Amino acid sequence: MNQFLSALTLFFSLLVEAMPFLLLGVLLSSSLLLFIDEGQLITKLPKNPILGAFVGSFAGFLFPVCECGNVPVARRLLMQGVPTSVAVSFLLAAPTINPIVIWSTFVAFRDQPEIVFFRVIFSLGIATFLGCVFAVQKDLTPLLQPVLAQRIKWLLKTRTAQAQNSLKDHKNISPLLKSGTFLLGNQGQPIQMENLEANLIGKKSFNQKFKVFLDNLTQELRELGGILIFGSAIAAIIQVFVPREVILSLGQDNITSVIAMMILAGIVSICSTVDSFFALSFASTFTTGSLLAFLVFGPMIDIKAIGLMLSIFKPKMLIYLFALAAQLTFILTLGYGYIF
Amino acid sequence: MLKNKKLTIWLDVVALFAWGLLLIKYWLTNELNLLIHPNYFWLVRITGIILLILSMIKTLEIIKQAKKTPPLDQAIIEHLTLFPPGWSSGLLIFTALIGLIISPQVLTSQTALQRGVTDTLPLTRSQPQSFRLNNKPEERSLIEWIRTLNAYPEPDAYTGQKAKIQGFVIHLPQLPENYLLISRFVLTCCAVDAYPVGIPVKLSTSNQSYPPDTWLEIEGEMATESLNVDRNTLTETTSGKRQLILVAKKIKEIETPKDPYNY
Repeated sequence: MNQFLSALTLFFSLLVEAMPFLLLGVLLSSSLLLFIDEGQLITKLPKNPILGAFVGSFAGFLFPVCECGNVPVARRLLMQGVPTSVAVSFLLAAPTINPIVIWSTFVAFRDQPEIVFFRVIFSLGIATFLGCVFAVQKDLTPLLQPVLAQRIKWLLKTRTAQAQNSLKDHKNISPLLKSGTFLLGNQGQPIQMENLEANLIGKKSFNQKFKVFLDNLTQELRELGGILIFGSAIAAIIQVFVPREVILSLGQDNITSVIAMMILAGIVSICSTVDSFFALSFASTFTTGSLLAFLVFGPMIDIKAIGLMLSIFKPKMLIYLFALAAQLTFILTLGYGYIF
Repeated sequence: MLKNKKLTIWLDVVALFAWGLLLIKYWLTNELNLLIHPNYFWLVRITGIILLILSMIKTLEIIKQAKKTPPLDQAIIEHLTLFPPGWSSGLLIFTALIGLIISPQVLTSQTALQRGVTDTLPLTRSQPQSFRLNNKPEERSLIEWIRTLNAYPEPDAYTGQKAKIQGFVIHLPQLPENYLLISRFVLTCCAVDAYPVGIPVKLSTSNQSYPPDTWLEIEGEMATESLNVDRNTLTETTSGKRQLILVAKKIKEIETPKDPYNY
């Protein structure tokens, strides 16, 4: 009974700590839904894979979400026809490379700024590298879930048709002469299908906008809150029922401690906004290298995120992502352990 | 189907309200002390207030909507859902209810034993900037003793100094009958990372009269002794480790403090 009560206390302690960060993330992502026109963003993205991967990695600053929030955003980006390298590196880097996470890591590890620095550098490196790797595959559709793949194919087709059209005639032509799918708008004006979402978001009255904002807010808060509860429960149970000695004996030397922390990161699935606080509780017993492994690997791949990612990719793609990310994290953090 | 949708919308509102209420309750009952570091109290307070406001706005909106005809298109805000509709809100409400009914506990000696009691502050812990040494030894708190010991770790330097410290009792199985550990938890962020620190106390009687988790105020004198225990790993050592102990002269049972943790 005593054990149960202390597990419960730890559980709520984690939740109370994480709630404000979750709310902040959800508030930001909801307001971005309103204020940033994704369609315009895409036209400005570089086509070069390396540059694209780099931009994707930094996109976290525009969409500051933790790993629970980046999946919907990445999916939306892919649907809008964003280059693969940008989307993949965004998916991997955004949970770490964003102001909230960097700030909370800094708060937790105020005495070890090198942890903050290397967390950012390593995540950036891995995400950019993986973005480039998957950019080599010109046609990503076999790796995507069928529904998503179809939508992208359709999008590409209309895009090329449009491009050809505009080559023929640079002047503004009547929408009736354009190819694509059209709907009849309010004043009898045809609206092109792919502009529909932008129109819905862009041309709403404040009240409607606020309604979309609020709906998105509650949806994300509810969804991510539920996941957060699961993560916290598992973390609290591990803390109370698995004696520290078990975890300690897992990580005795440089190599095994890195592996132990990576496994922990995968299982515990704490949001990247709060995971640095969790890592802090291991600061006294684990090497800095293995803490880094936890902080770099956790936001990219964990049990909770795998569930979400399955809504974008086929399992095959997930295995590639997982294997590459795990190996790179291992090598980099181990290297850190030997050099410093 | 439509009825189901209405129900899930209301569940959302209740979930928001319940969580706002829970956070506010923790704030008003001072139970936040048991959960997180005071640095983050303001975050929790604001979150609680925002959640309550959100639930109210949402309620107003639903009432307004009920009078109007069809709801807005849901397509743009469509989400990937991990749980069936209603489950997440159900889980949130359930958890909030548990939190409202069962109060958080002060961490116990059992947790301390599991985490390992030290008389050192690991270097990675954030050291408070405002650390000021209390010159009179008998006015130092347990945590100040530990910090002093950390700054100058020679136990012999403190022998003979008077001390008066408060903390809770831990029985270390490796220590002899007439010893106990007086300790406190130190928090850096939340209860999850609380780590215990402690000083062994030598009693004139058996430690059985002071069961674990009793809060005591102990007056006595500092001394050094070789104890066959390494408190970091809680294992017995063959060669005794010289360490600072407190020889108890006066022991008073006290109530569990309102803020049982140090920061």
